[in-house]
Amino acid sequence: MSEQFEPVIVGFLCNWCSYRAADLAGTARIKYAPSLRPIRVMCSGRVDPQFVLKAFINGADGVLIAGCHPGECHYLNGNIKTLRRFLLLKNTLSQWGIEDERVQLQWASASEGIILAERVNKMTEEIRALGPLRWYDKVLGGNGAVPIPVKEK
Amino acid sequence: MNDTKSPPTPKEKVGVYICHCGTNIAKVVDVVEVAKWAEKNPHVEISRENKFMCSSLGQELIEQDIKEKGLTRIVVASCSPHMHERTFRTATENGGLNPFLFEMANIREHDSWTTDDEEAATQKAKALVNGAIERVVHHQPLEHIPVEINPNTLIVGGGIAGITAALELADGGNQVYLVEKQPSIGGHMAQLDKTFPTLDCSACILTPKMSDVGNHPNIELMTYSEVESVDGFIGNFDVTVRKKTSSVNEKCTACSDCEEICPVIVSSEFDVGMGTRTAIYRPFPQAIPNTYTLSRTTDDSQCVAGCPIHQNAHGYISLIAEGKYEEAVKLIVEDNPLPGICGRACAHPCEDVCDRGKVDEPISIAFLKRFAMDKVGDYELLRPEKERKERVGIVGSGPSGLACAYDLRKNGYQVKIFEALPAAGGMLAVGIPEYRLQSAQLKKEIGKIKDIGVDIQLNTKVGEDITLEELEKQYDAVYIATGAHEERKIGIPGEDLAGVLSGIKFLRDVRLGNKVKLGDNVIVVGGGDSAIDTARTAKRLGVKNVTMVYRRSRKEMPADFDEIEEALQEGINIEFLTNPVEVKGKKTVEEVTLQRMELGTPDESGRRRPIPIEGSEFDVPCDNIIITIGQRPDIGSLKLKTKDWGGVEVDEVTLQTSKKKVFAGGDCVVGPDTIVGAMALGKTAAESIHRMFEKLDMYAGREKEGAYLSNIEVDISGREKAPRARIPTIPAKERSSFKEVNLGFTEEAAQQEANRCLHCSICCDCHLCTTVCEPDAIDYSMEDEIVDIDVGNIIIATGYELFDTRQIPQYGYGRLDNVFTSLEFERMVNASGPTEGKIVLRDFESAPESVAIVHCVGSRDENYHKYCSQVCCMYSLKFAHLVHERLPDAQVYNCYIDMRTPGKGYEEFYDRLLKEGTHFIRGKVAEVTDSARTQEEEGKLIVQVEDTLIGRQRRVPVDMVILSPAMEAQPDSKETSQLFKMGCDFDGFFIEKHPKLDPIATMTEGVFLAGACQGPKDVPDSVAQGAAAASRVASLISRGTVMMEPIRASIDAEACSGCKICNTMCPYNAIEFIEEDGVSHVITALCQGCGTCVAACPSGVITGAHFTNDQLISQIEGLLWDMRELEAVPAGKEEKR
Repeated sequence: MSEQFEPVIVGFLCNWCSYRAADLAGTARIKYAPSLRPIRVMCSGRVDPQFVLKAFINGADGVLIAGCHPGECHYLNGNIKTLRRFLLLKNTLSQWGIEDERVQLQWASASEGIILAERVNKMTEEIRALGPLRWYDKVLGGNGAVPIPVKEK
Repeated sequence: MNDTKSPPTPKEKVGVYICHCGTNIAKVVDVVEVAKWAEKNPHVEISRENKFMCSSLGQELIEQDIKEKGLTRIVVASCSPHMHERTFRTATENGGLNPFLFEMANIREHDSWTTDDEEAATQKAKALVNGAIERVVHHQPLEHIPVEINPNTLIVGGGIAGITAALELADGGNQVYLVEKQPSIGGHMAQLDKTFPTLDCSACILTPKMSDVGNHPNIELMTYSEVESVDGFIGNFDVTVRKKTSSVNEKCTACSDCEEICPVIVSSEFDVGMGTRTAIYRPFPQAIPNTYTLSRTTDDSQCVAGCPIHQNAHGYISLIAEGKYEEAVKLIVEDNPLPGICGRACAHPCEDVCDRGKVDEPISIAFLKRFAMDKVGDYELLRPEKERKERVGIVGSGPSGLACAYDLRKNGYQVKIFEALPAAGGMLAVGIPEYRLQSAQLKKEIGKIKDIGVDIQLNTKVGEDITLEELEKQYDAVYIATGAHEERKIGIPGEDLAGVLSGIKFLRDVRLGNKVKLGDNVIVVGGGDSAIDTARTAKRLGVKNVTMVYRRSRKEMPADFDEIEEALQEGINIEFLTNPVEVKGKKTVEEVTLQRMELGTPDESGRRRPIPIEGSEFDVPCDNIIITIGQRPDIGSLKLKTKDWGGVEVDEVTLQTSKKKVFAGGDCVVGPDTIVGAMALGKTAAESIHRMFEKLDMYAGREKEGAYLSNIEVDISGREKAPRARIPTIPAKERSSFKEVNLGFTEEAAQQEANRCLHCSICCDCHLCTTVCEPDAIDYSMEDEIVDIDVGNIIIATGYELFDTRQIPQYGYGRLDNVFTSLEFERMVNASGPTEGKIVLRDFESAPESVAIVHCVGSRDENYHKYCSQVCCMYSLKFAHLVHERLPDAQVYNCYIDMRTPGKGYEEFYDRLLKEGTHFIRGKVAEVTDSARTQEEEGKLIVQVEDTLIGRQRRVPVDMVILSPAMEAQPDSKETSQLFKMGCDFDGFFIEKHPKLDPIATMTEGVFLAGACQGPKDVPDSVAQGAAAASRVASLISRGTVMMEPIRASIDAEACSGCKICNTMCPYNAIEFIEEDGVSHVITALCQGCGTCVAACPSGVITGAHFTNDQLISQIEGLLWDMRELEAVPAGKEEKR
């Protein structure tokens, strides 16, 4: 098999909807790309933009933020704040040349395992098409940093 | 970045445990490899793998290692924390560590179950485990927060599940609030006849439980109520309930006298449209609470709201339908002192908004009023209960003045009207032609107004015969309603020639008997009601050729549609899109030059603007031209402040003029208006004058005076069309005289017409019920009550709704008469139902000889609901049995996809039906049709179905078809789920905490589920879940306190910059700003731990316990252990960690 680029996506999943959606996808044995590495947060509103940057700096090729549908937030409206931060963050990232596909937002209720799984598959394919992020190259390129990725698999 | 992060000191000793979960994880993830690899992490003291970490052996392993190896942190990589986090926290605690020094990596649901790629799964497992290790070293010991449980419980929904739960808890000595939306508890089960498979009578087993609920000292029953808001958390919910007013107080003895007199008949919700009920009703005889409810809506009926004087049209229509004409007349004259006149000549804006118009045509509301008045003949207006001394002078005896006089007189004021003309009635007397409104009628109704003590002085023009100032001196208040009696001019050459008449003066002269001479050819200019009146009057005076000239087309013509029609019948010629430009003649009119018009863009009135066509002028010879293009007031002699166009300037709400004691209304204020519009202003003035005398607020609560659009909406689906009754008229050839053209309805026609009413507001406000209620229990002034209750736990038992079978048109429901739904059939076979248990066709007479029962209508169907509704097979079998029992000769066909009988005694019941001779056809029904192909099918319903057992298409002709529709979530389940912060799935059913292990609880602690709101269920399952929910609550109550997760935010006051950004972030208002210190502070009791403020703090000084920045950043680093680019970055350039 030829060496295919396998993206790594960090997922921030809210405890009440999307984390359970991912649980349900597993329980229902829905197969999807093994690219997602989930982190549980109580609410998508807890996702500090610096977490997203941190994930990119540490080598993630994409970040998926998932929360309850608008109007269904366990904490009334945390997801609305997520949405606002997400839009602002995406704007900022695109000015650094980071493609929109690399940071995505998905609403998934606890019963929507299939929706979450499909989103991970789609996002994986989109990022696979873009190739690795190479943060140091892209963001700090020409700034003294010499990026030589070492993958110790 | 977060550069305040401190390295974990002293070195933590982490124990890592990788679970095989049998083969669930180990089959895909190389657990041995992961365990070995994890041991290399410098934080890790020991790393093990185990077949089942959740087993007692696995747990003991953790406890032992903590004790023996001095572990300080624990990581278990196994299933979802929602599954076993509590288990391993307990093990950690048992080993002697704080339970929060534990972290879980989910390598089953999020890893091994989602892929078959072993290499990738193992790599991902390493990442997840590493993330957990890096995170756990930053964990802090935390203490659970104890919360006391309020022992009271709220149960939402009074069906069998809610009833069961309520009785279980209440019997155990706990206080229960049972909230039910309907006026009675009982839910769907109360509608059923027999219950399968035992054939117990549903009512017989349910009603004893219902009355237990009603009588239980520990249950506070809140029927006809809905939960409006829910605050708080487990142990301490603060719930607001709206108790809708039933307008019947606790004195009700359920004697049913009110029900017998109520004139409003609507379809019964309880009988699913098979029967009817009255507006004041009890859903069924065994209802609990056993009391009546008056169905009133939040707003008036459309016709009442749309009427400027809010004449209670709905009320008199309902009374006419029931033949209660005397009562109808009484109701009419309460609001309207000119009832017969309005029944004839009103512009009836009520009909424009009548909801019946959405079905076919509006009710003939005005003519029904005329019918009632004519039928009864004599009537009495309301007389004052007590006399008052204040005197009011009214200028003008038109509809506005008369309406004002009536309302003031009803209140006991002394009223005198001054009229300039020799006849009372204003435009009624001199503007509306005799053939529309007979003088005798007007005389009679004005006589009735005089009878109650209103004085009318004729031939007295205020401003000439007596000055306004004198009136002001003699009276405590004055109302000016002089109307608009001056014709406007077109403004074309020749308009002043003899033979050019003003329409309004012409009509006045004819009515007053003054001599008017017209030639053979008369042209009437204008398109309003007065123009039509003028043309028809001219025709009646013997003019040979009457031609109306109107500048727009018929569509834009403002005159009444029927009257245009009648004018045409009488031989009046109407020239549309034509306008006069010049009148020619020496001394008198000889000819008129007309010009053709075309329509352009709409103007401010919304009608298309007429534009002259150049060169289209033509001359028409004529003897007279009558101009009726609109009237304006003539009030120069009153010396009041006026607007540019001549109308009196008044306060829009109070109608007060520039003089404090003087009010004005009617056409002299707003220009030419309808009769009822003028009356409305008269009533408004009467209200203002009353308020002025009583020294009340002149403005408060007057928004609904005058016509407005009601906010009620009526369901018109499935209403049969029935055309509006036409008013009979005298033949066109008899219309040369001034005889009344319209004849009025016959009694039969009137009742039929009145029965078309949809009762959009249900109760028609006729108040008849109050006249018969002996205990005086009916109180129209009652209002909704808002009740606050404090509870510790909530059980949701809101039940289900049936799928609307109209959504599958090929099954014919609503289109083919003899297609029934299951619930309709349940009501039919019920001995207390609309047919008293007889199985009959829609004609309510003939019994069917053959019946087909269609399973899976909307269930197991990709297009509607994929799920199986669980109960339909069983009740379809029950139906078959009931048909066999009641109609032994009838053939019964059950068309099913699969027969699902998985319950105690269910399969045996199926077997019994096989023996009873039911025909079973395995196949999904394609269509139910009435189009016959053979003689045998003639007059039958044909069920087209593929019999998959014999592999053939069949057409089964039957008399009756019963559809077994899917059980659906309640249509408002989404809103309910948001209210209680639960989840609901795609289908709208509420999501349980765990589908296998916890089908009772929800994601929200303290909120439990019972019955079909969680998914389709039969009675025994609902009862079981109701009891289970009660026992879960009882367990919490007896525990007294629960421990809450200590996930809360806190602010480092030393470092807080006081920017207040977090204050607005918190959805619970849990962050306050302390002014004297200039810092923000978290109120821990209110904080729910979402962490939104933590993410928002620009100084990074808010800590979200157990989800700190340190912990999450370290987890990210750990997760991405294999991706680290920064190791290749030269020293000094490295990103700060």
